[in-house]
This record gives sequence, structure tokens and C-alpha cells, in this order.
Amino acid sequence: MFLTQRGRFRSRGTESTGEIRGSFVKMPCERKPMRYGHSEGHTEVCFDDSGKFIVTCGNDGDVRIWEGLDDDDPKFITVGEKAYSLALKNNKLVTASSNNTVQIHTFPDGDPDGILTRFTTNATHVTFNSSGSRVAAGSSDFMVKVVEVSDSSQQKTLRGHEAPVLSVTFDPKDDFLASASCDGNVVVWNIKEQSQLISWPLLQKTNDVSNAKSLCRLAWQPGTAKFLAVPVESKVQLYERGSWDHVSTLSDDLLTQLVNVVAWSPCGQFLAAGSVGGSLNVWDVSSKLCVERQKHEKGFTVCGLAWHPSGSQIAYTDTEGCLGLLDGLRTSTSNSTNTASKQAAVTKPAKDYDALFDDDDDDRVMDEGQSDTNSPVKKPIAGGDDDDDDDDFLMPATGRVRSRAILDDENSLDTGSLKLGQEKFGDDDNTGSGVVPAAPLVPLRPAYEGPMPTPPQKAFQPGSTPAHLTHRFMMWNSVGIVRDYNDEQDNAIDVEFHDTAVHHAMHLTNTLGHTMADLSQEAVLLACPGTDELASKLQCLHFSSWDTNKEWMVDLPQGEDVRALCLGQGWAAVATSALMIRVFSIGGVQREIFSLPGNVVCMVAHGEQLLIVYHRAPGFDGEQALGVQLLQFGRRKRQLIHGEPLPLSHRSYLSWLGFTAEGTPCYVDSEGAVRMLNRSVGNTWTPVCSTRETCKSKSDSYWVVGIHENPQQLRCIPCKGSRYPPTLPRPAVAILPFKLPLCQTSTEKGQMEEQYCRSLLFSNHFSFLSSSGYEIDEEAQSQSQKDQQELLMKMFALSCKLEREFRCVELAELMTQKVVTLAIRYASRSRRMALAQRLSEIALEKSNQIQEVEPEEEEEEEEDYSSVRRPSGSGQSEAAQGRHSSRRYQEEEEEQEEEQREEEEGREMETDEASETKKRVNLFAKEAVSPVKTNLTPITKGGRANPFKVLGSGKPSSASGQPRVTNILDNMTTSRKSFPLSGPAGKQNKNTVLKPLAPRPKTKTQSTLLQMSGTKASNKKTQQNTQPAADTQKQPEAPPPASPADNTENKRPKTGFQFWLEENRKSITADNPDLEETDVIKEAMGRFRTLSAEDRLSWTERAKTGDAADLKKRKRAEGGAEGAEIEKGQAEADENSAKKKKSLDPSSKLSAFAFNKN
Amino acid sequence: MDASEVEFLAEKETVKIIPNFSLDKIYLIGGDLGPFNPGLPVDVPVWLALNLKQRQKCRIVPPAWMDVDKLEEMRDLERKEDTFTPVPSPYYMELTKLLLNFASDNIPKADEIRTLVKDIWDTRIAKLRLSADSFISQLEAHAKLDNLTLMEINTIRAFLLDSLNCLYKLRSNQHPGSSKGQFADF
Repeated sequence: MFLTQRGRFRSRGTESTGEIRGSFVKMPCERKPMRYGHSEGHTEVCFDDSGKFIVTCGNDGDVRIWEGLDDDDPKFITVGEKAYSLALKNNKLVTASSNNTVQIHTFPDGDPDGILTRFTTNATHVTFNSSGSRVAAGSSDFMVKVVEVSDSSQQKTLRGHEAPVLSVTFDPKDDFLASASCDGNVVVWNIKEQSQLISWPLLQKTNDVSNAKSLCRLAWQPGTAKFLAVPVESKVQLYERGSWDHVSTLSDDLLTQLVNVVAWSPCGQFLAAGSVGGSLNVWDVSSKLCVERQKHEKGFTVCGLAWHPSGSQIAYTDTEGCLGLLDGLRTSTSNSTNTASKQAAVTKPAKDYDALFDDDDDDRVMDEGQSDTNSPVKKPIAGGDDDDDDDDFLMPATGRVRSRAILDDENSLDTGSLKLGQEKFGDDDNTGSGVVPAAPLVPLRPAYEGPMPTPPQKAFQPGSTPAHLTHRFMMWNSVGIVRDYNDEQDNAIDVEFHDTAVHHAMHLTNTLGHTMADLSQEAVLLACPGTDELASKLQCLHFSSWDTNKEWMVDLPQGEDVRALCLGQGWAAVATSALMIRVFSIGGVQREIFSLPGNVVCMVAHGEQLLIVYHRAPGFDGEQALGVQLLQFGRRKRQLIHGEPLPLSHRSYLSWLGFTAEGTPCYVDSEGAVRMLNRSVGNTWTPVCSTRETCKSKSDSYWVVGIHENPQQLRCIPCKGSRYPPTLPRPAVAILPFKLPLCQTSTEKGQMEEQYCRSLLFSNHFSFLSSSGYEIDEEAQSQSQKDQQELLMKMFALSCKLEREFRCVELAELMTQKVVTLAIRYASRSRRMALAQRLSEIALEKSNQIQEVEPEEEEEEEEDYSSVRRPSGSGQSEAAQGRHSSRRYQEEEEEQEEEQREEEEGREMETDEASETKKRVNLFAKEAVSPVKTNLTPITKGGRANPFKVLGSGKPSSASGQPRVTNILDNMTTSRKSFPLSGPAGKQNKNTVLKPLAPRPKTKTQSTLLQMSGTKASNKKTQQNTQPAADTQKQPEAPPPASPADNTENKRPKTGFQFWLEENRKSITADNPDLEETDVIKEAMGRFRTLSAEDRLSWTERAKTGDAADLKKRKRAEGGAEGAEIEKGQAEADENSAKKKKSLDPSSKLSAFAFNKN
Repeated sequence: MDASEVEFLAEKETVKIIPNFSLDKIYLIGGDLGPFNPGLPVDVPVWLALNLKQRQKCRIVPPAWMDVDKLEEMRDLERKEDTFTPVPSPYYMELTKLLLNFASDNIPKADEIRTLVKDIWDTRIAKLRLSADSFISQLEAHAKLDNLTLMEINTIRAFLLDSLNCLYKLRSNQHPGSSKGQFADF
């Protein structure tokens, strides 16, 4: 039925006026971004009479009054549970709400002004007549009522529809009323007689409004009231008043979906239509040309459409409740009539060709992209500009043909004869007139279906929540939190520090309207965008300044806006809308200025490093094309990453950018993938974690606030059902582990490989820090190296078990020489002689390598330890090899070596202390505290060890009387103060940009670090040992993490028992060859007890004399051995009790802590 | 055992705090605590949490059960059931009291929580009294104390035991046959 009808209409249309399809005159208009208006569902929109307000109603039952699209706080009137339709005239707001009534409210006050009429079910559409004296309402109970606004008792009911009424519209002359209904009919009524005048079966039948494909909003031409516009399928049909004939059809090639709503411009010249697929078209009715085409940004159904009374804007709403606006429509009456008259002249000659091509168009499958390329060149025919017109007069008939020929090969074949002579013409003309080059502007192509450019992501501050929120985080980083409260009462900024030792919390009134912030240990940086009168401002609260001026402010040049900002150590950087980066010193001196290749997205700083992410190019199909630059300031300024593309997950955007606490750049994209810079593989980015995988539901996400490499922590805030957390209740930070996405991580092999790779990746920062001159935590470094070697050994064992000997050798090549020897032993024990053979070759090779390097390094090592940057494996093993004392061998030798070590240590102590002051210390260690602060806090600590610390750290009570303090409570305020030698510490502050933070734990651990031969227990112990030290860099002395089996003999003071043991050990082991080391001692103790009293005494005597010589060694006594000692010799008992006394000192840690409050 | 002792025991329960200072691990008899990183939640015993809170060195994160919805559910269940329902924490009353007294600013809807916990407590104590009553009146020999917390047992212990003793004495006097020997004892 429909087909035939359409056919009929078309033929009529072409006969009378010519059905003009695909004609397109583009009016430059701006599609403003959509904004949230109502909850999901049907919404309607209209303008008030003055055009000052946009009024919308929606599924949430509210009518909102917007002062503009940017109005963040619209006034609203609640009219019911749902609002189905609204109409506004003469300051009366009529709404159809879910309680089956049609109500009046005053506008804009929103006071209820009575109920106009009721239905048995809800009204679907209400409308005013042109004067505003009457309201028509169509309802789901098949009725249409016309009510006098002044007297609601005067009602006229129009019965006749056989299904819910879709829409109603008044004849501007008030005689008629048209309505469309779900029964498929569009009916024109005579209001006075309440009778049907004519009925057209145009629509598809449905049983309910909600099932109707199209809302079929009718519209009667205002003013002359000549035409009634009826949306039918994807076209709009115009019926003439009086004759009720179908006179023409407005259509567009690109409009393929059902038209949902139509609206006349106030001048009656233009007709706008919104379709189910989100297209918005505007036709010039007299010429039937489509003058404007826009597409809804998400392609949602347009269900409300209204013209601004001036005709320059169209507001529209979609079924998702969003409100949009087309601005800058050039449809003022005078202009349009002018062009229309001209167009009339122009279109006539073109008509023949049109007809020609129309047929053509019908036959071929319309490619929307193709037809789109046509559209700009049709402009000359009906363009509104004088230029265009001139152009047209010069070449009246050929404009269209020519252009088609150029741009559309398919067509040009069909119209070959025409094309021939004119192609050249076209070329000349195109370049000459300048019309065509201007036309192919991409953004206004609504129906181009190829890869679409992605809207570029806006600049943001990492760790901030969206700016439109009234309460939001402006910054959440590892230093603290900056919150912004922007409500009616006040606009304020709260700055809060995680560590109150940095600075107390601050409360500022945000008079300038700052929208961006960053926070560091030294300062708070704030910036606001510029307004018409005021320039964009940058404000820095430099709270760590030692003078009295703690604040400075800078105005950016007019027209330049701050887009992103960040704070480094001693400097601040700002990225502006002028594609520039401006670098200031923290005191406000302008230091650098340079240009950026694209719009900035995000910028972060850490120490001397500055990481910038910007738009490299427009992205397509949801992708963002971002580039990244990493710069280093400080003494040696250089660019480390030169604007390389930033890898992002598919169709995602950047959501967080930052540095780890150790200074490695990393970022998070909207898919939750965390990537970290891998400096060891030429600055590539390695995915280290996927927060999405840990989320319970799809809408949950993690809002990252910080990343630490040591210990490996991803600090983030879990957000339920949103991307960012609310300010209240105060969100809690959670910690996620990292996991490299390696294959088969469910298997043991995969797991170990993952751990190994991760450990390697997360120890990259050590070499970076030491190479850039920072202090590094060697404790942690050696620990991670040890872990790596252990993992290698485990993998080796696993491969052995799986008989993968080649793989074994591969793994062995990664090991240090020391571990290779272990591997050899393992291989030979498991009877893999071939493997052992190969391994020993590797071991030999490695030891050769080491020996080559050794002579030079051996010397330097003591003095220059910190500056030697060691390659992860070899340096280690070299040291190990040099010092390595193989357990279970001659004790004499070990002792000698021990002596030697003591001496070295002694020497080292001195150099250590002296050199400490010179060292640049890693200021990025986790607990970094500004040094200025540091010096202010009083030093109250006594050098007490924790009596309860069971871990057996290196020197539990600093018994040797060293000036160092081991009290870990020091950390609480600062790390620096643990050095009573504060004189040089002050000096230190000046001479480097990098401020000192913590004393470098000077260790001599390398000699035994890699002794994997220790028992499991000993491994564990050393691990524990190093753990706390690793955390804070505070342990001034590292414990020699040797296996007890190896060291206990040597390191604690000799007792009588021990002397006896030395003598008798061999006999014991001979008697019980299968005893473990501890068992040997037990056995020995048993035997020692059985000795006579004199014998024991004599041994003790011997021990005492020996002791004096050994006294020095005592400081290296291993805490872990203490327990064993207690049960051992009596001579030992004295020593122990003395120690204990010390450690049980009343000023234990906690009490010291308690009195230390600031 | 009195209430303060029970409270003392309750202080050993752990609670999450968010410190605003940094401190390495501390090693105590009861175990190691920390490390404390500013802004990172860490589990500590209640006594330390309160101590730090009073010195404004931390914020306390209320335990998961200290939530209006959960407590309401629990209260309703407690009212519905005749027996004692499992409580969220063996020291729920003590913890509520301690945390709300010292850290009410860190706990959302502190007043509501206080009321709810009081409601639960009252319901349970009423049940306890009721069952003690029936215990005595029906001359039962033993009773189960399932799901009762230390504090609840403690509130009724002194009174109940004494009165049971008294009852026993009185009852033994009632029966002349057995009373003689008993009486001599007393």
C-alpha cells in the first residue's frame, strides 16, 4: 500500500514542481555538543516566546527551563511522574503528565494554574493555537480535545480515531485541526463542527504510541497556513490547505530513516525534520532544497524539535533525554526570500538535468558517502552568497553536471557526453571561485559512513574528577588531595596532605574560579581559564618558601588559556591553548618556553622529568592519536622521548598519566590498562596491569591515584558504577598487584616467567636513578636481583624436570656465575652430565668476563660505590666471587677472610660517613619529606632498637656504640635527622637541585648477597631483613644476609663451647655424617654438657682470651643467632643479658612515638 | 571480669586506619604493625587506632559491618529470631562504643549506628534475661551460649551465678533429707 502511494505521490510531485531530491545548500551552522537533559525516554523541547529560554520536559516528570545550552543549573518544575508533552505560549506552560491530565503552570515561576482537561489515559501531545487561546490535546484514549485556556469548561471533543492519537496541530487560522493517530490516519478536523474533514491513510498501523515507529508530529505552516507538513516514512509530505492536495514531498537522499518530528521555522520558509536515526534536515520549502543536514552525534532518535523565535537556532532532544542545539542557521526571512527568489531562477534550467540524474539515482544503490561528495558542489546552484550566485549566472546549467562529473565516476560514465568538455571547465572554476575548496569541510558531513574522526579527548589533569561537578577532586596524588566545592553558598578549595608533616591542610576561597590544580611537596599550583575580561591566571602557593611571600600569580597573555599544568621539583610547567609549554621556577621565574606539536591532553612532572601527552593527529573510529614527549630538565636538559605515539587500548582514551614514585612514566587508559615505560627496551611501553580484570562488574572501575615500583603497588580507588569517585563519603584507597599479561600464567612456568619479567621491569628504575645521579636503595636493588636469580634457579629446576635441557642452558645464561655453579651442582646431582658440561662452560665464560672487569673495579668499589653503575648480573657476581666464602670449607680460611672483611668495613665506615654528605640522595623515595620541613622538626629520638623486633636485623642495638641511630620512629618525621652529623647536611641542601632525602644505606652485603646455598630458612630471614630497610631506606646498616650456617661460626664472639666445637666438629660429623648443621650443633651441645666442670672451665678461659681479639667482630654479630646463643655457653650469658638490658629500655619505640607528637 | 576488661580485650581487634604520617614497620609483642604510608589504609589494633586518632594522626575506616543498612538488617533478624543470631563482630558493642566515642567524625551516620547497635544490644539482652528466667523457672541444668558475645555473658554472669547459688542453697534447704549434710557445710 505504501509503495504504491509513494509512487503516486512521486509522480505527481515530479509533474507539478519537480521532486527535488538530493539538492543541498549548505548553511554553515554549528552543532553544539549534546548535554544531559532528562532521564532516558521521550523528551520534548520548545522555546519560550522571547526565545530566552529553552524548555524541555522528559520522562522524569520535570520541566526544565534552560537559559542556554550551557546552563548547568536549570530551573525545574515538577509536573508529575512523567511528562509526555509540553507547549508554551503567553507564559502559560501546558503539560501532559502521567496522571492523565493536561495541566497549566505559569511560566517561568512554575506555579500550578489548574487542570485544563482530563482523559481516561495519558495525553500524548499538547499544542497551542497560534494566538495561545486554545489548547489541543491528543490522548491515548483515541480522543482529541480542544480546550479554551481561559475557560476550561469550553471543550470540544473530536472523536473518530481508532487508535491512540500521535500528534495534533492547529491550523494557524484556527479553523482546522490536524491529528495523526496510530490507526494510520492523518485527519483534518473542522473544529467548529467537530467533524472530520479529510483523512489520509498515510501511516503504518500500530496499537500504541510506544510501538509507533514514528511519532509523526504534524506541523502547519505558520503565517500563511498554506501547507500542512506530514512526516511519512523518510519524507515529509506537504498538503495544501483548502484543496487538501498533496503538493510536494521534501526528501533527501541521505535521509533514509523514518522522520519522527517536523517543525516549521517561525517565518514559514523552512521546515526542519528530525528522524529516528538521528538525522536533522532543514529544507527550504519554496525551493524544496535541503539547506542543512546534521546528524545527531550518537545517532539517537530525535523526538523533540523546536525553532528559536528568531529562526537562528533549532533545539532538539533525543530519546535518551539529551538536549542539543543547532546554532547559526541563516534563515532570517529577508535573506531567505532573497535567495529563494534567486534560486527559483536558477533551479529552472537545472531541472532537466535533475530529472536526468534522479532516475539515475533511483537505479543505483545509493552510496551515502558518494552522494555526500556531491553535495558540496551543488552549492553553486542555490548558494546564499553573492559569489555563488555570480558563479551561477556565469554557468547556470552546468554547475551541477560538471561537478558530478568530477566527483562521481559512476555518474560521469552515464553522462559521458556532458562530461567531456566540462571537466576542464570545472577545474578552472573550482580553483577560481573558491567555493568548492571551502565546501568539503569534514565535520558537517552527517552521513559520511567511512572511518569517522574521533572527537579529540579534552585536556585533563590526572587524578581529577570532571569539572562540571559541584564537589570534585581537582587533584589526588601521592602528596595529597585538592578538592573544589562549587555550590551556591561558596566556591572554595580544600588542600589536604596525606602526610601532615608536609604542611597542614589549607582552605582557600576560589574567587578566581580555578579549575585545575597540582600539588607537590613544595607548592600548590592552581589555574583558571580566561574569560572575556580576565586573562587566564596561574597561581602558585609556594608554602615551602622560606621567605614570607608564599604566593605568586601570573597572567597569561590575552587569549591564551591554561590547559594543563604540573609541578616538578623546583619548577612548574603549564601547557596553554596556544600550543605552548611555559616553564616557571617554583619561585615564579619564567624559565623556558617551547611549542608543542599538538593540543595538550595531559602533563605530569616528577623531579626533573616532564611528561607531556598531546594530540598527534585526529584519530579515527574511536581511537585517539596521541603523542608523548619526555623531557628532562635540571643540569642536563634533554628530550628522552621525542614525540612518539602513545599506545592505547583499542577505542580508548587516556585516563591517567603519571610517574611511579620512583620516577618511571606510566599511564592508564579508559580500558583500565596500565602501561609503564620500559627503559631497558628502548623506551617502550609495557602493560603491567589491567584494572578492568579485577573489577567485579562492567560498570565498575578503578581510579588510579599512584603507582609504586618498590614495593609493587598500584594505588587506586575502587568506584562502583562510575569512572571516578565522589568526594563524599571519602573514598578509600585500595592496592592492586601488577601482573604482566604473559601467556599461560596459570601454569607454574608461566607464573615464574611473569614474576621474573615483572621483577626485571620493576627494577629498571634502579639503573635509571643511579645513571641520572640519584641515590638508590641498594638494599632493595640487591633484593630484587636476588629474587630474580632465585626465580631463574627455580625455572631452571623446572626445565630440568621437564627434560628441557636447551631451555636450561638459556636460563643459565641469564644467571650470575655464582648461581650457575649451583645450577651445575643441580644438574650433576640429577645426572644430567651433558647439561652440567655445558653449564660449566658458561660458568667459565662468566668468570672470565668478571676477571676482566675485576682489576679496575675492585679498587674503585670501596670509595666510589654509589657512582658505579653496575650491570645487573655481572657486577654482582664479581663481588660475590671475590668475597665468596664457600661454606663448609676450612673455617680458618673463613676466619681470615672475616678479619679482612672487618677491616674493610672499618675503612668503609669512615669513607661512608664522609661521603654521605656529598651524595645526592634519592628524593623520590617514598617517604620523601621536604628538607626544609625536616630541619624544623626537633630530634627527639634516642638510639634505641625495638625490643620486639624479631627479625634479627643486622645490628639490633647498635652495640658498637656507633653514633648512628637506628630507631625507626625517625621515619615518622624525617629521615634526615637520623644523622647527628647535621652540619654537612645543611650544606647539602644547597648545592643540588635534587634534595637529599635519606641516608644511603651503606651495605657491604654484596659479598654474601647471592649465596643461594643457604637453607630456606635463612633465605627467608634475609628477605625479612631487607624488607623493612627497603621500605624506608632507614636501616643504616644492612645486615649481612648470609646464611647462618655460613656465618654464625665466624661472626659472633667465640664461647668456650664454640672453641670446643671447632675442635670436635669433625669427629661429630664423622660419627653422624647425615646430620644437618643445626643438628650437629645440638649434638655438640649434648656432648659439651657431658664434659667435666674443669674441662668446660678451661674451654671458657680459652674463649675469653680469644674473645678480646674478636671484640671487633661483635658488631657484626648476627641478631638471628642470638636465640641460639642464649642456650649455648655460659660465658655468652653475660653478654646477652647486657644486650637485653639495653633493648628493654623504657623509651621503647612506641612511647617515643607517643611523645613525639607535633 | 568486668566490663573494662572485656573492653581491653576488644581493643585487640584490628581496624583499618588511614594514617597521615609515614612510619616504618613497628615490631611489637603482639606482632608487627605497618608500615604506615600517608594515605594508604593499614590494619592496626583498635587501641593504636584510637590513640593515633586522638592525636589526629589518622582517620579510622569503620568496619564493614558498621553500616546502617547492614545493622538494620541485623536488628530485624535479631528481633525476628527467638535465638541469638550471629553478630558481626564478637566485640560489636565495645567497638561501636569506642569508635563512636572517639572517631564519630570518621563514621558516616554515627548517630544512627549508635541507635541501631543499642537496639540490637537491647534485643539481645532482653532475650538473655528471658532465657535466664526460663532457665531458672524450668530448673534446667545447663544452657547453650551460642552466638553470645563476651560482653553479653559478662553482664549477666555475676548476677546469674550468684542467684543460682542462692537458689541452690534455698532448694537444698527445702528437702530435709539432703539438707543436713549440706547445711553443715555452710
